[in-house]
Amino acid sequence: MSNLAQDVAKLARLHLPDDQADTTQADLEKVLGYVQQLESVELPEDTEPFFGAIESVNAIRTDEVLPSTNRETILDNAPDSDGEFYKVPKVL
Amino acid sequence: MQIENLSAVEIVDHVKSGELTATDCTQHYIDQIGKLNDDNGGFLSTAEQSALEAAKAIDADRAAGKALGPLAGLPVAVKDGICTKGHTTTAGSKMLSKFVPSYDATIVQRLKEDGAIVIGKTNMDEFAMGSSTENSAYFPSKNPWNHDHVPGGSSGGSATAVAAQMAPVSIGSDTGGSIRQPASFCGITGLKPTYGRVSRFGLIAFASSLDQIGPMTHSAEDAALVLQSISGHDKHDSTSAVDDVPDFSAKLNQPLKGLKIGICLDHFGDGLSDAVRSSVNDSIDVLKSLGATCQDIALPYTKYAIASYYVIAPCEASSNLSRFDGVRYTNRATADNLPDMYSQTRGEFFGNEVKNRILLGTYALSSGYYDAYYLKASKVRRMIKNDYDKAFESVDLILGPTVPSTAFKFGEHASDPIAMYLADIYTVSANLAGVPAISVPCGFDGAGMPIGLQLQAKRFDESTLLQAAHQYQTQTDFHRQRPS
Repeated sequence: MSNLAQDVAKLARLHLPDDQADTTQADLEKVLGYVQQLESVELPEDTEPFFGAIESVNAIRTDEVLPSTNRETILDNAPDSDGEFYKVPKVL
Repeated sequence: MQIENLSAVEIVDHVKSGELTATDCTQHYIDQIGKLNDDNGGFLSTAEQSALEAAKAIDADRAAGKALGPLAGLPVAVKDGICTKGHTTTAGSKMLSKFVPSYDATIVQRLKEDGAIVIGKTNMDEFAMGSSTENSAYFPSKNPWNHDHVPGGSSGGSATAVAAQMAPVSIGSDTGGSIRQPASFCGITGLKPTYGRVSRFGLIAFASSLDQIGPMTHSAEDAALVLQSISGHDKHDSTSAVDDVPDFSAKLNQPLKGLKIGICLDHFGDGLSDAVRSSVNDSIDVLKSLGATCQDIALPYTKYAIASYYVIAPCEASSNLSRFDGVRYTNRATADNLPDMYSQTRGEFFGNEVKNRILLGTYALSSGYYDAYYLKASKVRRMIKNDYDKAFESVDLILGPTVPSTAFKFGEHASDPIAMYLADIYTVSANLAGVPAISVPCGFDGAGMPIGLQLQAKRFDESTLLQAAHQYQTQTDFHRQRPS
């Protein structure tokens, strides 16, 4: 039987060693079992979801050109770069 | 001058009047950290040099007759999930062990502009996911009242720092109770402002629709002072409210006559410890003696708050934490190709609880499950918000315990994630609804561990929250007790 935790880990690009798959699966099942109670909550028919604690009008800022953080400073935190771009291993 | 028991308000007053120098005050707290941090584990890193330089600059400004800011000379400890320019910011994770932000979070910038002095970064559960600091990738912080007990979390280091008197005030962040629960466990005052009151720019995001930064202090009066500095719209955070910021200290001394307090009986049911129940009931009597009236209210959907929260928060986290992929943030695992590098990096540098929540969120958002989990949880969230809106039509504040129990022992909830999550049962609803809430010390259990009282208010009504908390603190001395 395929392990749910490992299937989801692939989607999340998260390496899960085989010896951790079972405990992770068990933890996941405990939480999913608990949140399962949401299924039986009866709601008024027209209930709209609430995605954010603030439901304001669109926030618009003035359109002005401002300097952004310079590239070298940002790249200082990169594990690997050539001074201008991030460097990564080959894609395929 | 005896610096040890000065409040934040007193420190600033004395610095302004010249009775205390910012340098002496800062040095005092640096010495305290040196003496106490090894045993208590509140700080992940300190900023002695930059703190003393900032303090000297304030003393020089005063000598030159320049106007001083509203927080002049006030040392402050900042949770390590909040970016500080040029100073390592780890979020309690190995993923960011070497990350040095190129900018200050807006709240750090505002604190500094007002004269506060950042003395260090405090320990936390990794990426703010936890209720005990046991999920910190570095070490757990201790509860200064008893080192066998957790300080709470995720802002546990910030609570430890203030309770152990290594900082007069600290900054935490609260996604489901992460300011209020450790404040309750450590016997200090912790305020989660209204969602949108304080800019989140520079806060390493956990769950963006729930996260909010707030002060952790000894008293409500000090909380008002710090909240004043960090509040207000920020062009870098479109969810920060454009509403005017009131003077939070203005109402502190007004009597509570006419104040209507709602009590939800469901929050006094099974699972609440007797000591907590008794102390919270006593606090109701104190507030009544100050002129407040109490009435029962119903929040019927809050019984689903933990279930709703543990779908919504992991969903948002799984999205937010996708940025940690080995490309931009210092740490990378070795692999032959890009997809493997992503998964190896995330597998190697994230801790177990973070991995579990990413997996949970990824699962709940995946095709075929979205409606059953995320959408349903968000509809339940709407009902919880509606509960609050309805309750606040008839009352000004909602009162209850902050946490069902006092601080638990290390390892007590290690094998059962749900037991750990239930520590947030009374706090998560405020995040889901976006309302402000405060925890104030209201007693001790038989073993001498602190108990917290939670007050919640209408959105953007921190003033009433702080007024009630301050008036309560004029009649009680729980917030003045210190661990021996």
